[in-house]
Amino acid sequence: MSHFFRLIHNENVKIYKRMGTWVMIGILVLVVALVGAFTKFVLDPGSNADWKSQLTAENAQLTESLETAPMLEAQKRLLKERIALNEYRVEHDLAPMERDSLWGYMVDATTFTGIAALFTIVIAAGMVASEFSWGTVKLLLIRPVSRTKVLLAKYASTLLFAVLMLVLLFSTSFLFGMIFFGFTGAETPYLSYSNGRVVQQNMVTHIIELFGFRSIDLIMMVTLAFMISTVFRSSSLAIGISLFLMFTGPQIVQLLSQYDWVKYILFANTDLQQYTTGTPLVEGMTMTFSIVMLLIYFGLFAFLSLFIFNKRDVAA
Amino acid sequence: MKKPIVEIKNLKKVIGDKTIIHGISMDVFPGEVFGFLGPNGAGKTTTIRMMVGLMGITEGEVLINGFSIEKNFEKAISHVGGIIENPEMYKFLSGYDNLLQYARMLPDPVKKERIDEIVKLVGLEKRIHEKVKGYSLGMRQRLGLAQALLHSPALLILDEPTNGLDPAGIREIRTYIRKIAHEEGIAVFVSSHMLSEMQLMCDRIGIIQDGHLVSVETVGDFVGEKVNTVLEIEPIEKAREFVEQTFPELNPKVNGAKLFVSASREKVPSLVKVLAENEFEIYQVSSENSTLEEKFLEMTEGTK
Ligand SMILES: Nc1ncnc2c1ncn2[C@@H]1O[C@H](COP(=O)(O)OP(=O)(O)O)[C@@H](O)[C@H]1O
Ligand SMILES: [Mg+2]
Repeated sequence: MSHFFRLIHNENVKIYKRMGTWVMIGILVLVVALVGAFTKFVLDPGSNADWKSQLTAENAQLTESLETAPMLEAQKRLLKERIALNEYRVEHDLAPMERDSLWGYMVDATTFTGIAALFTIVIAAGMVASEFSWGTVKLLLIRPVSRTKVLLAKYASTLLFAVLMLVLLFSTSFLFGMIFFGFTGAETPYLSYSNGRVVQQNMVTHIIELFGFRSIDLIMMVTLAFMISTVFRSSSLAIGISLFLMFTGPQIVQLLSQYDWVKYILFANTDLQQYTTGTPLVEGMTMTFSIVMLLIYFGLFAFLSLFIFNKRDVAA
Repeated sequence: MKKPIVEIKNLKKVIGDKTIIHGISMDVFPGEVFGFLGPNGAGKTTTIRMMVGLMGITEGEVLINGFSIEKNFEKAISHVGGIIENPEMYKFLSGYDNLLQYARMLPDPVKKERIDEIVKLVGLEKRIHEKVKGYSLGMRQRLGLAQALLHSPALLILDEPTNGLDPAGIREIRTYIRKIAHEEGIAVFVSSHMLSEMQLMCDRIGIIQDGHLVSVETVGDFVGEKVNTVLEIEPIEKAREFVEQTFPELNPKVNGAKLFVSASREKVPSLVKVLAENEFEIYQVSSENSTLEEKFLEMTEGTK
């Protein structure tokens, strides 16, 4: 096994030999199961029998507001897409997905990436700060391994934990979806609008795509927490700031969206779905712009962590 | 003369606008126990932290086996094992898992047999698979020693290794340190503020005071030469005059009912003989080594 893999192995031992990690994993599974049960036994799904007339009515209303209400170009485009999708459903006899179905539930479950993010932030926040508070950093850093390598191994292990959380989320939501709702409607396609027409897409691909979009936010917040943990050596500060920003950041940029400079704020760029199925926060923002902004922020966090960790006098 | 394993050259540390270490130079050689002695706050831990790369060096350099700890960290540190202040371990892991952590960090991981050998050496084989949480301070100290020796270093650095140990534990560490230095040729650099202890454990001692290296001497030089001899003798004034005339180099002084002379050990019997022959009445003769402690106090008080 290569040296770097052994370092990652070390970090993994430190993550998974602690009780707290398993409590978090347990909570994630439990939440997926409970929400599944809640959807099945408590929520009233309502009758979906006359979905065709519902969609037709919705389209009539959308068409009207499209003509009368003043709105931005992007919003208009969105409404048009929606109308096209609804028409496609009615024409091809494809009922909208229901929440109490396997796929519907799995799509809902993608929002639990927020919980995965929360737990990964907790892990990330402890990666460096705990070594200082335990005092073990003094033994960790007098090994024939550069500080850069130690830090990279820690970061890689944090990302591995994030991947574990996402895989766990995907597989448990599939498992409980099967248990509660059965494997019905497996062939239901996901409809999306691309290049001016409606296309059918495989549902599993769509769900994985959703996970993908949500992971971007997760990775950025985890990297932020990791950086704060490295720079300030305080896990509570890292958890506090990251969670606060994760929950309020998107609201703040929404509030300030009339200003053009908002587009340079991290949280204006973490949701890439705004370019596929939504409207960009500030007119003129593009997917490329956001990806470049994300890379710049990522580079900044990485640089700060590495720079400070390499420079610091260890006097814990 | 052997090539030094550690060369410290004009080492300085400034934090903020405070100079903590004012240019220390010293060498440590293979097979010796080098004591680094100084009162609390003198700068022992700071010096050690610079030696192992935990702290940046403001000026000067530290070479370990010829490699600069700053410019060639990985090469330099691979010869070093150490405990800096308390041996803090991962409490939620077993002693064995802690050792595995450090074993995996080596470029060539040590074999399982080596880990078992070290565990036996420090006498932890019965409890090594228990979580460190339940270890006593002495056991942690031994586990600390085990992690420091795992990769067979050429230099062992121990910062106040006997802190908090009971006398039996202290003796154990002391015996052990002397053994690995003298039998395995490892250089041991050990710091302490306890003078009596250093005297028993070290071959050479460097004294640090307020960030200055005050002196470096072999323990033999420190304690061997001067002996303070106290005589209960009558008549005391006459005796003083007599000694003054016959052995002026002994610098006799009267304090209360006692006569103090500073004679070398070999001198004492002849002094007593001459005094007895001259009809002085000697009730008691006691000699004591001028201990490191006195020397240490003498040296450090001068600078205060
Ligand atoms: N990070 C720091 N910032 C400022 N002063 C420090 C720092 N670390 C140690 N000192 C000061 O340096 C001096 C030496 O400390 P230290 O090396 O721990 O001494 P020792 O180990 O000999 O007891 C002390 O006066 C201490 O207050
Ligand atoms: Mg100290």
